Amino acid sequence: MSALIEKLLPEADVSDDGSFGALRRKAQKVLMQHGFPQRKTENWKYLPLALLEKRTFSTAGPVAGSVPAPPEFPFETGIVHMHNGLVDPQKCRLPRGVAISGMLPSDIDTSKLDDASPADAFAWLNLARFDQGWKLRVEGRVEQPLAVVTSCDDDFESAIHPRLKVELAEGSALTLLEVQHAEAAGLINGVMDLELAPKSSLVHVIDRSFGETALIQRTTARVSDAAEYRAFVLDGGGRLTRQDLVAELDAAGANASISGVAALGDRSLVDYHTAIEHLLGRTSSQENFRILADDQAVGVFNGRIHIVPGADDSHSEMNTGNLLLSENARINTKPELEIHAEDVTASHGATIGQLDDDARFYLRSRGLTDGQAIALLKYGFAAAVFDGMDAGALKEWMLERLEACL
Amino acid sequence: MLNIKNLHVAVGGEEIIKGLDLEVGPGELHAVMGPNGSGKSTLGYALAGRDGYEVTEGSVQFDGANLLDLEVEERATAGLFLALQYPVEIPGVNNAYFLRAALNAQRKARGEEEVDSMGFLKTVREHLKALKMDEALLKRAVNEGFSGGEKKRNEIVQMAVLQPKLAILDETDSGLDIDALKLVAEGVNRLRDENRSFIVITHYQRLLEYLVPDRVHVLSDGRIAESGDRSLAHRLEREGYAFLDTAEA
Repeated sequence: MSALIEKLLPEADVSDDGSFGALRRKAQKVLMQHGFPQRKTENWKYLPLALLEKRTFSTAGPVAGSVPAPPEFPFETGIVHMHNGLVDPQKCRLPRGVAISGMLPSDIDTSKLDDASPADAFAWLNLARFDQGWKLRVEGRVEQPLAVVTSCDDDFESAIHPRLKVELAEGSALTLLEVQHAEAAGLINGVMDLELAPKSSLVHVIDRSFGETALIQRTTARVSDAAEYRAFVLDGGGRLTRQDLVAELDAAGANASISGVAALGDRSLVDYHTAIEHLLGRTSSQENFRILADDQAVGVFNGRIHIVPGADDSHSEMNTGNLLLSENARINTKPELEIHAEDVTASHGATIGQLDDDARFYLRSRGLTDGQAIALLKYGFAAAVFDGMDAGALKEWMLERLEACL
Repeated sequence: MLNIKNLHVAVGGEEIIKGLDLEVGPGELHAVMGPNGSGKSTLGYALAGRDGYEVTEGSVQFDGANLLDLEVEERATAGLFLALQYPVEIPGVNNAYFLRAALNAQRKARGEEEVDSMGFLKTVREHLKALKMDEALLKRAVNEGFSGGEKKRNEIVQMAVLQPKLAILDETDSGLDIDALKLVAEGVNRLRDENRSFIVITHYQRLLEYLVPDRVHVLSDGRIAESGDRSLAHRLEREGYAFLDTAEA
């Protein structure tokens, strides 16, 4: 993958600008040593990075310019708008209880990154090309959701490496809505760290769809004592999307749940690798992920549950359901359970199927056209994933977005 | 209303209906009985237009139209309703949404105005109440987690909302306890009028005590072997289908 190194990490570009220099140098060293994942790199084997090799990325980094207005939502929400990789903190609209500041080197933790293989190459790349990072600090229970909006110009073909950290103070609560849409043949290589202090609660809603824009995103939630992380993901597809979503349950009473739908068509290639790490006992997790693949789309889901030795009395449920909607679509789905503790429950289920002919006939026999019947069945299959969302305007908006994706 | 002539239906290349004639007039209720495998459900599916039920010969006129030329949903819009023997579960789609979508799809296809949400809910609630079904079922996914009896009663609710011209009830009585059977029969009777017709496929005479058929037909080996008034159902209850062998011999 040296071609990719040359495209994404021009040698002269890793400068030492003082505070972040050491991190950048280390990241560059790891990258130069191990390169990017290849087909034989287990966790990346379904993602043809050759697609990126064929592209020419501007190496200038984020480019300031006129920033369009962020999308409007049918509910009150705060806004952090990242356009072309840049955030203007002056233009952020933060709900009461949320503060934004620039990221410091001490905000970046590389202890969990693998520096002995290409597995975490894109997270290292994010550091090697680090330009701008932001930290959101949350105090108290924030009623209004905060939307973090990612957008790019229609001709934006750079590689950008955004980084965001969200710190929830003890007992605080936030609904974080990540909205990401872009079309041009650029690359967004993002890293997001979520730190949940004891008794805090984060509802993390992701709504994304891309055209030619490639997204490689690594999100890590560290969930502390009696804290709760709930993710709801809606992915409408894109030419190349890779999301690593890690929840580390590192204190008793920590809970994580991940509910996701990827509704894919055309030549979408979307790869979700989730990992829930039960690092201590009395932790719990639930995961439900569904992929609908039409046309020539490829969907990948790898759901890892890891219960370490001694994490007794941990409980985990995972379910992945998949619908193949065309002969040329492909889905690779794998629950991956690694259990080293006693007295735990860890259930999992995986299905891949097609639309049920009986159900289609049933709906048509009541007067719905075949197209309406298919749309209703797809919606029913997918919408069930969001049953766990609290009723309200945000859930209704999410279900409308889902309907639009189908 | 319905005129079937020399109907032949094959499923997976095997002929199941082998030359069936049946005429159902407006407002009539016909019972179709017969031993297992005689083609009763195949008749229902073929009339509803299900894929895999291939009409190889014959004609079916329904309310002035050639039924066999119509797609499944066009048959529904034309006024044909099939209550399934095994109603299908549709996870994730709530009952109220589905019913309203179906009703509006039919109305739209007929060039009628769509029903508003409030008026629709009022009507559905009345039908649910009449069938002693919990209103909460409206918010649940279609047939998911319903008991066998609830599924059958839900078919009758759908029929009541959609107001078909011809309803085919495929063993709607099977698996029902006596109280549920009465409720279903009452639901059907409420819909009976001089224009609406019914074909009631059943194994048991018991349902016909409540529905009172105009004609009873016995289907055997893909043909109507015997037709008569309601006394034929009593005879079948007493004697079974053994007489068919005698007749064929």
